[in-house]
Amino acid sequence: MSLVTVMFYLMAIIALGSALYVAASKNLVRSVFMFFVTLFALAGLYVLCLADFVAVTQVVVYVGGILVLILFAFMLSGRESLAGLQQSKNRLFAVQNLPAFLLVTLFFVVLVNIVIMAGVDNLPWLKQAEKMHNVIQPADVTINNLGVNLMTTYLLPFEAISILLLMALVGAAHLARKEEAL
Amino acid sequence: MHRNSKFTLSFYIIHILVAIGLFAFIAMFTLFAVYAERKVSAFIQDRLGPTETGKFGSLQTLADIVKLLQKELITPAAADKWLFMLAPIIIFVAVYMGFAALPWGPGLVPSQTNIGLYYIFAIISIETLGILMAGWGSNNKFSILGAMRSAAQIISYEIPAGFALISAVMITQTLDLQAAAVQQGILSVEKVKFLGAWDVTHIGGLLSWNIFRAPHLIVAFVIYFIASLAESNRAPFDIPEAESELVSGFHTEYTGLRFAFVFLAEYSMMFLVSMLAVILFLGAWNTPFPNMGVVKLADWTTGAAWGIAWTIIKTLGLVGVQMWIRWTLPRLRIDQLMNLCWKVLTPLAFACMIISGIWRLWVM
Repeated sequence: MSLVTVMFYLMAIIALGSALYVAASKNLVRSVFMFFVTLFALAGLYVLCLADFVAVTQVVVYVGGILVLILFAFMLSGRESLAGLQQSKNRLFAVQNLPAFLLVTLFFVVLVNIVIMAGVDNLPWLKQAEKMHNVIQPADVTINNLGVNLMTTYLLPFEAISILLLMALVGAAHLARKEEAL
Repeated sequence: MHRNSKFTLSFYIIHILVAIGLFAFIAMFTLFAVYAERKVSAFIQDRLGPTETGKFGSLQTLADIVKLLQKELITPAAADKWLFMLAPIIIFVAVYMGFAALPWGPGLVPSQTNIGLYYIFAIISIETLGILMAGWGSNNKFSILGAMRSAAQIISYEIPAGFALISAVMITQTLDLQAAAVQQGILSVEKVKFLGAWDVTHIGGLLSWNIFRAPHLIVAFVIYFIASLAESNRAPFDIPEAESELVSGFHTEYTGLRFAFVFLAEYSMMFLVSMLAVILFLGAWNTPFPNMGVVKLADWTTGAAWGIAWTIIKTLGLVGVQMWIRWTLPRLRIDQLMNLCWKVLTPLAFACMIISGIWRLWVM
């Protein structure tokens, strides 16, 4: 087994294990911190796919942005209200969880089916690319390609997203503003 | 990945040795910097500072660290034990990992990646998470207030810092810090122009540093330097640990080795941000002396050993300025802090970015 395979399984186990903890833990704040481990393991998986730019973006956006935002919400809400949330007696195996279990199982079956039917190891276009050596090498610079594509092929989605974000910013600033006395 | 000859045992051993060496350097730097900080503050405030332990008190920090190692690790009864224990480690490791992509000399970089700068920017943001963890885990209102202030400050100041860095990147056209370093001296393969007009590719020295290749980067450098003070929670931006209001902020409850780790992280962060500024703005490991006629000063003072020496000298210079500022300026209030960030630094950084674009397209 090569080092890359070992790393892949290590990262996958960490990601799955921490994700399970996030879902099952009663301690909300610990869940959030464990979610950080999940995201970091995912970033590791991206690196193994030679998508290092995506991996770093994952860390910047989710860890530096979203996780900190969630933690802010927690810290501003105080321990008492959190304790109230955590006391709900939700057992894992209960009758009211039956629909959820059913849905999850069915979804899992569908996913496994798709993976088997797609046969990702034998896709014709993959085989062809491999034959023509049209594959990314570990030392390749991918960001130039990303930049050019963002500014040409994907310009419209890019601009649409930036306008959406601008709208969100303006909206947030408006909401946060002190209302003037009427 | 293919099993090529590069990945042999010695390859891994060298990487591990480099990592250990960097850690040793950071620890030594922290010992030295704490002593320097005390002496600098003593000089500025007209005191003597440490004098008893060793000659001129030079063994004082060593004695301090021995004391800290012996101290009991106290965990408050109401603290969240795991978060409380892990927080100092996460804070330090986040900063330590940043050193992986910083070049020390020609051909000397722990890990040359083509997105080095972006990686450092990402890995530093993990420190915020560690600080929030420490604040929440301590279960102490001072800690939580300090952590909130720290996170708010770091997130706000990431914006001007980021745009100042982007305006430098637009000039260098690479996120690989080693490539950015090579461009700023006589080893450059592309043409280097002083102020965009005078070809100094073979003259090198001070003239080919980024801040002189594009003079608006001086402004970007100052913006980045101010923002980096805020990111490492140093005065005048030390409201997260404002000792007159919050005891000592997010690390109020920490004792012994854990406290030492928080301190280690703060000083390595100072070195990290200064070194990043040196690499992107002040010529990285390149010599400040230009070639003048037959006196080839730049040729004589470029090399691996010289590179490490220049990096350390320039970075320690910036760390010295950080200390000087800390003991000179009073602490900013939170509204002044936010005003400075959003109304002064951010628009200026945007202007720098626009000028960078124009400079790259029409001047260089």
